[in-house]
Amino acid sequence: MAGALRLSGVTRRFGPVTALDEVDFALAPGEIHGLLGENGAGKTTLARVAAGILAPDAGQVEIGGEPLGAGGVGGARALGVSMVHQHFSLVPRFTGFENVALFDAAAWTRRGMGSPGYRERVEARAEELGLEVQLDVPVGRMGVVERQRVEILKALMGETRVLLLDEPTAVLAPQEVEGLFAVLRQVARAGAGIVLVAHKLDEVLAAADRVTVLRRGRWVLTGEAAGVSARELAEAMVGAGVDGGGGGVGGGDAGGPGTVGGGGEDVPKSGGMVGEDAPKVGAAGAEQAPEPRAGDDVEVARLRAVTVSTGGPIPLRGVSMEVRRGEILGIAGVGGNGQRTLAAVLAGMRRPDSGEVQLPEEVGWIPQDRSEEGLVNEFTISENVALAVHGSDDYRQGPWLDWASVGETAAALVRDMDVRADSPATPAGVLSGGNQQKVVTGREFLRSGNLLVAESPTRGLDVKATIAVRARIAALARSGERPPGVVLISADLDEILELSDRIAVMVRGRLIPVPREDHNPTAIGERMLSARGDAAP
Amino acid sequence: MAEFGALSSFLVAAVGLAVPLALAALGETVSERAGVINIGLEGSVIWGALGGALGALALGPYGGLAAGALAGGMAALVFAAFAVWLNTDQIITGTAVTIGSLGFTGAVFQSRFGATGLALELPTVPAWEVPLLAQIPVIGPAFFDQAVTAYLAYLLVPVLGWFLFRTRRGLSLRAVGESPEAANSAGVPVVRTRMLAVVFAGLTAGLAGAHLSLVHTGTFAENMSAGKGFIAIAVVVLGRWNPKGVVAAALFFGGAEALQFALQAVDADLPYPLFLALPYVLSLAALAGWFGRSRAPEGLGSAWPRG
Amino acid sequence: MSTRSHALTPALTAATALLATLAVAAALLALGGYPPGDAFAALFRGAFGTWDRFVSFTLVRATPLLLTGLAVALAFKARVWNIGAEGQLHAGALAAVAVAVALPGAPGLLVIPAALLAAAAAGALWASGPAAMKTGMGVGEVITTLLMNFVALFMAQFLVQGPLRESRGVFNQTDEIPPAAHLPDLIPGTRLHLGFLVGLLIAVALWLYLTRTPGGFRLRAVGASPRAAEVSGRFRAQPVVWLAFLASGAVAGLAGGVQVAGVTHRMYEGLSPGWGYTAIAVALLARLNPLAVVVTAIVFGALSAGGGAMQRDAGVPEVWVRGIEALVILAVLTVDRSWQALAGRGSRG
Repeated sequence: MAGALRLSGVTRRFGPVTALDEVDFALAPGEIHGLLGENGAGKTTLARVAAGILAPDAGQVEIGGEPLGAGGVGGARALGVSMVHQHFSLVPRFTGFENVALFDAAAWTRRGMGSPGYRERVEARAEELGLEVQLDVPVGRMGVVERQRVEILKALMGETRVLLLDEPTAVLAPQEVEGLFAVLRQVARAGAGIVLVAHKLDEVLAAADRVTVLRRGRWVLTGEAAGVSARELAEAMVGAGVDGGGGGVGGGDAGGPGTVGGGGEDVPKSGGMVGEDAPKVGAAGAEQAPEPRAGDDVEVARLRAVTVSTGGPIPLRGVSMEVRRGEILGIAGVGGNGQRTLAAVLAGMRRPDSGEVQLPEEVGWIPQDRSEEGLVNEFTISENVALAVHGSDDYRQGPWLDWASVGETAAALVRDMDVRADSPATPAGVLSGGNQQKVVTGREFLRSGNLLVAESPTRGLDVKATIAVRARIAALARSGERPPGVVLISADLDEILELSDRIAVMVRGRLIPVPREDHNPTAIGERMLSARGDAAP
Repeated sequence: MAEFGALSSFLVAAVGLAVPLALAALGETVSERAGVINIGLEGSVIWGALGGALGALALGPYGGLAAGALAGGMAALVFAAFAVWLNTDQIITGTAVTIGSLGFTGAVFQSRFGATGLALELPTVPAWEVPLLAQIPVIGPAFFDQAVTAYLAYLLVPVLGWFLFRTRRGLSLRAVGESPEAANSAGVPVVRTRMLAVVFAGLTAGLAGAHLSLVHTGTFAENMSAGKGFIAIAVVVLGRWNPKGVVAAALFFGGAEALQFALQAVDADLPYPLFLALPYVLSLAALAGWFGRSRAPEGLGSAWPRG
Repeated sequence: MSTRSHALTPALTAATALLATLAVAAALLALGGYPPGDAFAALFRGAFGTWDRFVSFTLVRATPLLLTGLAVALAFKARVWNIGAEGQLHAGALAAVAVAVALPGAPGLLVIPAALLAAAAAGALWASGPAAMKTGMGVGEVITTLLMNFVALFMAQFLVQGPLRESRGVFNQTDEIPPAAHLPDLIPGTRLHLGFLVGLLIAVALWLYLTRTPGGFRLRAVGASPRAAEVSGRFRAQPVVWLAFLASGAVAGLAGGVQVAGVTHRMYEGLSPGWGYTAIAVALLARLNPLAVVVTAIVFGALSAGGGAMQRDAGVPEVWVRGIEALVILAVLTVDRSWQALAGRGSRG
């Protein structure tokens, strides 16, 4: 029996970067196949090649035994391949129905009018899959979960032989993930092969029949989900002890738990140090509650009943919080529940419509989107550092900006944060994601004498960069006599649990505190759903 | 009926002046719906006027109209080759195409007819009277005793409305304009869609230019497009990227221009440059009013690299 | 990609683009039946043939291009698409003439600065409408500045035909401004006037401002990424946009003032052959670097000065120069893209 999908020797380059390097991959009908790898490992590229969005530079793609050739997305659709994207695949101004119809040739007759009965078929299919979709609402006005349902419905309207999902769980609360997996199992039972792209091991292991790991564009291993441990997979993803080109499931016999941060040829020099630091940070987070200090300066920021209802889609409703020196306050929650607005208020960039705000004069803010907001890509590292210091008298000589001083600060930052760059004169745009984030983090530390707001600080980073950035943030909050307070806003529950002293959940513009005994994924997940008001798919 | 005479001739002039704006703006509506703003539209208009003139001398007035449309399409193809195919900045590319078109049409014209300043006489496109409809008092002659270009403009309104909002290709084209990323992942060929949309706008803008030389004036002069292409882009904004609205906005500007002639007929001493400025001032005023705040396609002007 | 190749790119781009333009222009000239060699030789002689051709023609014609080029470069640097330098120039010219004519007995030290300041103010005023529409209502400045050009043109026409018409009443032009208001010669014995020096000083000042001051840094940040400027720089982009828009308008207005005070000594219809549009090519070819604008303005001044000679000596209509300007812009854009493609940045990840 022909496989649902087979890639043989597929290579795809982007300029000088080889995103996929002679990768083989096979998907059987009816299976859920987890595709694992760090950011940049090539998972999404593989899915996009299979969906016909990207043409491979070399190699073959076969769907149900038939070559995809140069058919593009249309050709792949005709062979029964659909993809659920992480970003950018719905037109925000179009309604749910228009978005479904845009992708589905069956929606249209030769004369152009919407084909009769199509609307009913869309509704029937949604019901069959148990997906509640608002067909007449513009997608731009939907929440993330509703959007994902449109995506899935759209992908499953035609005959589906292969369904590719790119990080579908990233936008979901833990309880909603289960609902999604139920839909996937139903689709798989109907005979479709499913590729589940993810970087969270436990989720993939819970849903997948088999798993494949990619690392730096290369195939590393494929095995039965029941037969591999999370640790083996983690090592295969990071590359500790597994030789680059091949190797089977046996990757697990090399290297113990310490190797992830401590050894291996790929790990930067400071990696050892980071590796040693990381567990200590974890311990500090768990056991050492912030010591109450005497005096007024213990509290660095305070919000009282802050409401913001204008100028953005997600309002803040009566948010109260305070941040003390030396603590990390974790704000969990699915993205798009008002975290952006909260960060802007804390950074002093947004005045609330009502409520009380007390903030330090200068606030460090690591924004969510480092390439659009955290950095000016065409500026050098020095110039990006100057974004923080150009207004300060320390960096002026008369009317002139003192570029020599800025350069010194930038050089120190490059050194201290272990940024991999030729010099501070390197344009930020050519740095890797991890190094970019180190620049942003280091620059915002310059402003963080009292308060640091870190918004999804490790999103899209690989494991090593993630460890490094988390360690710096944790170390900052424990540093010196008067450490700053840190507000960590993240959709990554693991990150919140690892770093935070206190935790609150952001849901629909409200902030719900989580008592210490509930610092676990299930209890936090329940709170993430509590005020959401719509059921899981 | 005498009291209708002035109004009627005003309306005839208004519709005649609105036709080139409507043609160019209807094409540009399609282009902008696909996410491309073409400041080079002015270039397509002037090439259309020259192509119309040369074509009419060789092939007669109707051959001239076709030649004008083709010439406008060629200018747009140059713009598209850079702004869409090479993905260069749309604004700067469009400006270059306009500057170059004004220059090179002048060069072609001078090398063909010399820089003597003698007016060129062209065979013109006659008006066609639509039986019965042209008999309606006042509006009949205004709308139904016009050249074929006017009827083409009328026809384009429902056709484009149907295409943009009722067909799959129209939906795909709008998706390209709203979100090229989403359209691409749906398998819509972004570059090809944008190329075709831009060239279509060039064809209609070229026809608009041919209207200027073969219907409106019966001659060609350098720079005779006189900003019509730019006003057409404003007309698209005022018409809110919708064929019906665009045609209404074009009529409004045709009216403003016709008013200038009507008032001069009443009092020859009125300063005509101020009236010439009127359509531009009105465009600005309308953009400054609530019209300007209408929402453009989200991907308008967005870059989209091939591959 | 190394950072070294980044530093080389601007000069290389400009040189490659110029060569490409020459090649395409030669092909088009040949196609039009003109021997390209003769045309280019005539053009070169007209621009650089003698010291006087260079100073009194090329540099004099480069002056308004220098100022409008700087205006465009400044605006584009802040990602303000000011296509309206042409209109701002006209507004500036009108204001300078009006002030100079209104102060008949005043000494040069008073009337010249007054006229030039009025020109700059008028240019800024002409830019303020589109600036307000952009910042306050979100109406794109491309179309509004374009439309304002036409309004300025017709306004100038109206004024020189009516209210500001010369007292003799023969031609559609204003009275000549008093001799005290004439800009002094920069190099005795030539027609080069003080305006060129003003342009050079502004070029240096803008360069220092953009590269050495906090304000210029903010302007560059807003131009490169308004969102990052606001979030990471913690300042509002809108005042910066306003500043860039008004300053750009002021410098373009000054170009008009300098032209009437330095060359024409009066205002008439068709004062500018489209300098405000050529300025876009000038600024782009200079990669928006104010110091490089000096060089590219002279290149385009030479084109303009040589255009007449080309028509006279080689029979090539002067309008070809406009076409060549467009070719320069397209060549810069193309060469730019090719560099990016070579550096592997043309494709998406």
